[in-house]
Amino acid sequence: MKPNELNERVSAAREETERRGETFYPGPSRIHLASFPPKERWDDWVELDTRAWPKRVEQRYMLVPTTCFNCESACGLLAYVDKESLQVRKFEGNPEHPGSRGRNCAKGPATINQVTDPDRILYPLKRAGKRGEGKWVRVGWDEALNDIAARVRKAIEEKRHQEIMYHVGRPGEDGFTERILAAWGVDGHNSHTNICSSGSRAGYQYWMGLDRPSPDHANAKVILLISAHLEAGHYFNPHAQRVIDAKANGAKLIVFDTRLSHTATHADHWVSPLPGSEAAILLAIANYLIQHNLYNREFVRRWWNWEEYLSIEHPEIETNFENFERTLKELYGSYTFEYAAQESGVDARVLEEVARLVSTAGTRFSSHNWRSAASGNSGGWQVARCLFMLNALVGAVATEGGVFPNAWNKFVPKPLYTPPHPQMWNELTWPIEYPLAMNEMSFMLPHFLKAGRGKLDVYFTRVYNPVWTNPDGFTWVEALSDESLVGCHVALTPTWNETTYFADYILPMGHGSERHDLHSYETHDAQWIGFRQPVLRAARERMGEHVSDTREVNPGEVWEENEFWLELSWRIDEDGSLGIRRYVESKERPGERLGVDEYYAYIFENSVPGLKEKAATENLTPLEFMRRYGAFEIRKRVGAIYEEAVPPDELEDVRVDRFGRVYTATPKPPSSNIVPLPTIDADADGRRFVGVEIDERILRGFPTPSGRLEFYSRTLSDWSWPEYAIPTYIKSHVHPLNMDEGQTVLISTFRLPVQIHTRSANAKWLDEIAHTNPLWIHTSHAARLGLKTGELVRVETEIGHFVLRAWVTEGIRPGVVACSHHMGRWKLLDQGQRQMMATVSLDREGDQWGLTRERGVVPYASEDADTLRIWWTDVGVHQNLTFPVHPDPISGMHCWHQAVRVVKASPEDKYGDISVDVKKSHEVYEKWLRMTRAADLHSPDGTRRPYWLLRPLKPAREFYRLPSNETESTEPVGAD
Amino acid sequence: MELFRALAALAERPARELAPVADALLIGPLPEADAYTELFNFQLAPYASIYLGAEGMIGGEARQLIAGFWRALGQSPPPEPDHLALMLALYARLRELEDEESEPVRLEGLKRARLAFLWEHLLSWLPVYLCKLESIAPPFYKKWGEVLTEALIAAALAAGEPSQLPLHLREARALSDPRAGGEVEEFLQSLLSPARSGMILVRADLTRAARKLGLGLRLGERLFILKALFGQDPQAMLDWLAAEAQVWIARHKLKRESLGIVAAFWEERAAATLSLLEQLKQDARESTTS
Repeated sequence: MKPNELNERVSAAREETERRGETFYPGPSRIHLASFPPKERWDDWVELDTRAWPKRVEQRYMLVPTTCFNCESACGLLAYVDKESLQVRKFEGNPEHPGSRGRNCAKGPATINQVTDPDRILYPLKRAGKRGEGKWVRVGWDEALNDIAARVRKAIEEKRHQEIMYHVGRPGEDGFTERILAAWGVDGHNSHTNICSSGSRAGYQYWMGLDRPSPDHANAKVILLISAHLEAGHYFNPHAQRVIDAKANGAKLIVFDTRLSHTATHADHWVSPLPGSEAAILLAIANYLIQHNLYNREFVRRWWNWEEYLSIEHPEIETNFENFERTLKELYGSYTFEYAAQESGVDARVLEEVARLVSTAGTRFSSHNWRSAASGNSGGWQVARCLFMLNALVGAVATEGGVFPNAWNKFVPKPLYTPPHPQMWNELTWPIEYPLAMNEMSFMLPHFLKAGRGKLDVYFTRVYNPVWTNPDGFTWVEALSDESLVGCHVALTPTWNETTYFADYILPMGHGSERHDLHSYETHDAQWIGFRQPVLRAARERMGEHVSDTREVNPGEVWEENEFWLELSWRIDEDGSLGIRRYVESKERPGERLGVDEYYAYIFENSVPGLKEKAATENLTPLEFMRRYGAFEIRKRVGAIYEEAVPPDELEDVRVDRFGRVYTATPKPPSSNIVPLPTIDADADGRRFVGVEIDERILRGFPTPSGRLEFYSRTLSDWSWPEYAIPTYIKSHVHPLNMDEGQTVLISTFRLPVQIHTRSANAKWLDEIAHTNPLWIHTSHAARLGLKTGELVRVETEIGHFVLRAWVTEGIRPGVVACSHHMGRWKLLDQGQRQMMATVSLDREGDQWGLTRERGVVPYASEDADTLRIWWTDVGVHQNLTFPVHPDPISGMHCWHQAVRVVKASPEDKYGDISVDVKKSHEVYEKWLRMTRAADLHSPDGTRRPYWLLRPLKPAREFYRLPSNETESTEPVGAD
Repeated sequence: MELFRALAALAERPARELAPVADALLIGPLPEADAYTELFNFQLAPYASIYLGAEGMIGGEARQLIAGFWRALGQSPPPEPDHLALMLALYARLRELEDEESEPVRLEGLKRARLAFLWEHLLSWLPVYLCKLESIAPPFYKKWGEVLTEALIAAALAAGEPSQLPLHLREARALSDPRAGGEVEEFLQSLLSPARSGMILVRADLTRAARKLGLGLRLGERLFILKALFGQDPQAMLDWLAAEAQVWIARHKLKRESLGIVAAFWEERAAATLSLLEQLKQDARESTTS
């Protein structure tokens, strides 16, 4: 056959194969990205058993997708379920997942370690002795559920809604538990966000209304990262692979990081500033763009709220764009490279070079800050704000290669039920002193409890370990140990952690392959959903079995949270008298409890555009499709929504105000995407805000009060922070001016690439790779102290000290020290996780707390032979115990950086020693509390908080009003 | 062009999912994996840089030149840009882009790129490689090589002969002459560098030489084996190599019609090798008689 005839033959064969939904060129192959088993063979995939080598023993698998739960990114995993034993043998990437594209970091495949961890908790446990004593009895789920349900019901019946709290570390699913709490009528959602990303969120929200950036790294020409995105930063894996794509295509990478992180090693420009000076550098870059007219003038004219700024702040001059440009030049003229160099310690010429590079990017400029500087410093929220200012100046907002507001790259499908907003305000999580806090003031909780601001009757912690993760852990221990402050503590967790020791119930919950959740994240310019599922349940169902409860397939009596919450809610209100049952009742089978199959089937059939049609092409129901592939891309290349014209049928009886804000009498059209958006106030006549008028066209604009990008925040000005109404450099609490002689800055915010907070500690592969956290100290600094690598060093904080080993390196700015917060896990007695937790004793004398390391990790016999091969003993030092709370008075973010004294350890110091004075920690709490501008004194409109700001589980609007006296404010209204 | 992509897929390990591809090419059934390993891992590694570079090894300037082509296309080069599978897939993709393009200037640019890639990076070495493959491959890969050769020849004829030699060949160094003061090892190394010697000597060839000449075969990399054989009987090895060169001259001659100056280059290189080997034999004889 001639080549052209063969060519046609091959083309026809390929076409025919792909028409059947199969893969013609399966991997492993360089021809396409095809290093994955072809999807048509996921029911029966054959591999050779590596342990049988050199014999050729075939092993048959069923491949079932799920979603990783080891960080927030929600990357796709494929579980290899052994068809003979029906056990998961390994996890690899899911090539059908639009965010991760089949690629995973080390944490994904390590899920198998978590599933087979010999130390995991398999059965519900109830405290037997005193709280914290470490005595437990195994109980049945019914006993636990009935007891907890009765407590919650009693609290609701007695109008003590504020005593019910759910404290979450990692939300498994967008809004699921919030809706459960709303069904209970409880404003009891508490998160970890104010120790995590609130600083950055605030900076972004004040610009664009939405609190998360979605950078299109892959298509950028210049990328500026303030953190370590290529190893451990936000959305590490989906973003890192796209940053590398961009670099491979010639993009330049700028990294601000005081440490030589792995990310910094990949940078074209590594900028190592004094911690806290980042905003000064960013404003110097902005000033360069402004003074040299290198900004996108037309974009700024059209989309910044400069008219509002000029008319309010400069009524003396005519409101026109030329005057604004002149004002802008004056406002930022003092941010010279020399000034930024003086603040940051980075050479002015380097900063100028970076600024020049930024100016070449045009609208292909992607940037990102999530934790790092924004989470380390007081006023850190201005770091993200100043960073986004660069995007706003060059017009790289929702452009190809630019930065999008997250909600445009996210899809949260509408569920079966959406309970109403709670009829109450929770003062323990949203205290009056922090009206602008981005999230719940979670890390202040034990102080508030001890100060008598309230108490908790039922406190759920879920994938959360505040004793270890939060600052000031001993104050947490004190509060959690006191039954008059916390009546019943229920820890929902797959593994032991430091907080579980102070629980009343420990309820075992599944890992990423043992539970249902639905996710969507802003990994790139697209909208997708990812489905987490109990893979053994899905595998059995593929074999024709019916599984109605995930406990039937999970190890031991491990459950999943969605079924748990549905069941608990059902038991709280079995007769329906509280009005809760109706939100957890089956619509298909009235009178029965809603099951997860019905819950997700409804969502996939009714709320995900295009899914039903796509599933039909493979003769699958939408739920079957999601169980089979684990992810679905709803939309690609969303683009600049703010530039979209508002359709005429949404513009009935329109009013346009003097700043171009457009209000309409047309009701909001229904949408199946319920991604949280700010609620912008209606006009005086109740017309809905619909967009902005620009150059005689009505465009969607941004979800901000002005409808534009807010260079000027009227909100900040009105709520008594006029000095920060525009992007500004705030000198950090660790600025040299704020530190005493002999103090140095400790950076405590960085992760280790393969570990993540509490959850990865039971993954043996990860533990072997990373298990300790020495103190990074520069060679010159170490020489001054006479320190060598491995020698003990004492780090003294405001409230105590910790002892660890030094790691002398050139990879950090001289005079600054750093220690990762991912290490230093501990257990009391022999209870807990044995691969990564040192055994310690806690000592208390009045306000003085101490933690002493009894022994490190040792090999041990278990059903996993690898535990006898453990070769490491050191698991790091728990530094967070020695940090007091540092709540930023505006964003509410805990400001992690510490002013410390670093000294050579004395002979009596032992590795891992911790010493803390909780009286001092209380004094620091009070000091920072005094920095606030409370709503009762500064609210411009008699409310507790600007209504437009995002807030998890928003209460009904009337509960935003400040009470006439505080006692009334905690008086809840029932769910009815 | 799907044919090249299908051939590319089969230049990878023969996973059983590739059976439909082999069937479509009418060359099935797929061989066992060990046939692939023997051919592509032990004998004829499918990397262009081995056959075009000065050292006869993977990498070096030849690979950089191919990587540069990816860059010129605005693409980042993959880790192994000179792997045969990738190169064929790239050629297929370039042809596909042409089919998708309607704008005349861009279409012309794409066509130029494809033809440049064809002559510079595929035809510059692949027909010679396939010629060798034909003589040592098991049946499946023999058929695969025949289809690929035909497809390449058809593409070459359709493209027309280039005005000058591909850069790889223009800049290819000549065989090292041990009489010019160079090390013997350098001479042997250059014999193993196809673009310098005009012939491909694989491990099986050296095994064949050892058997034929009754020499001891010392296992190792090709240079090590060749050195060991020369160490035992240099005169016999020169004879054997000269006979090999003659075979290669004849092979290259057959390609003149379709590959023009490229085939001529290879023929000249093999002829130059033969000439040098003859001179060395002569020198050796003279030194023995004197």
